[in-house]
Amino acid sequence: MTTGKPVNAEPPAPVRDQPEAQNTMDTPVTQHRREVRLGREIQARIGQQLRAMYDEVVKEGVPEHISDLVRRLSEHDDGAA
Amino acid sequence: MKLDPAIRDQVLATVPSLRAFAISLCGHVDRADDLVQETLLRALAHIDSFEPGTNMPAWLFTILRNLFRSEYRKRRREVEDADGHYAETLKSHPEQTGRVEFSEFRAALAKLPSDQREALILVGASGFSYEEAAAICGCAIGTIKSRVNRARTRLADLLAIDSIDDFGPDRPTRAVLASGGGRS
Repeated sequence: MTTGKPVNAEPPAPVRDQPEAQNTMDTPVTQHRREVRLGREIQARIGQQLRAMYDEVVKEGVPEHISDLVRRLSEHDDGAA
Repeated sequence: MKLDPAIRDQVLATVPSLRAFAISLCGHVDRADDLVQETLLRALAHIDSFEPGTNMPAWLFTILRNLFRSEYRKRRREVEDADGHYAETLKSHPEQTGRVEFSEFRAALAKLPSDQREALILVGASGFSYEEAAAICGCAIGTIKSRVNRARTRLADLLAIDSIDDFGPDRPTRAVLASGGGRS
C-alpha cells in the first residue's frame, strides 16, 4: 500500500490484530509505524461513515416533486426560462 | 422545444447523488431540496450548453456548487460568522438533518471550512476523480488533493479519535458537542 493511493480506495485495513513484537523496544520507527497504521484505520472509518451518510440519501431516490418538475420542464422548455 | 428523453433520464439519474451532495453541503434537507430544484431549473433552462456525451453529473454538480457558493456569500454578508452559525444550527436542531445516527459525524463535517468539506464529499462520497472534482470546484487538481487531505486530518481531530475503538456507532455525541462551535 503506497502513500499515494487514492483516498477513497482504501480497504478497511486488516491489520488490527497484528502482533506488536517490537513493543519492548518502542523506537521512534515502530511508534511511527503504529501511528501510520492507526491513521489508516481511522481514515478508512471516516471514509465508510462519509459514504454511509451519503448513500442513505442516495437510496431515497428522486423525490416526487423533483421528478414532476423535471418532466414538466422537459415537456415545456419555456417554463424554465 | 422538447428535451431529449435520454438527456432527461440522465438528469433524473443524477438527482439522488445531487441531493446527497446538497444535503452534505448545507446540512438542511429542506434547503438542500430547494437548492436541487433551483439547480435543475437553471440546468434545463440552459440545457443547450450541455454537450451530449460529456459528464452530466459533473455538469449538474458544478451548477449546484456555484449556486450554493453565491448563496453562501450572500448569507455571509448577513450573518457574520457563517460557519459557526451553521454549526450552532446543527447542534440546536440536529433533527433538521433528518438523520440522527450520523449526527456526530455531520457535526464534525459542518466544522470543516466549506472548500474542504465539498472536496472531501466529491472525492470521498460522490465518487468523482480528483480531476473531475477540480473541474467542479474550478481549481487545480493539487488544490483538491490538499483540501481532501486537510479535511480528513481535521475530521480525525474533531472526532477526537485516540483509537479505532473510540470510533464506533455507540459513542455518544458528547465529545463533538462539548468541543464547542465554530473554530477551535
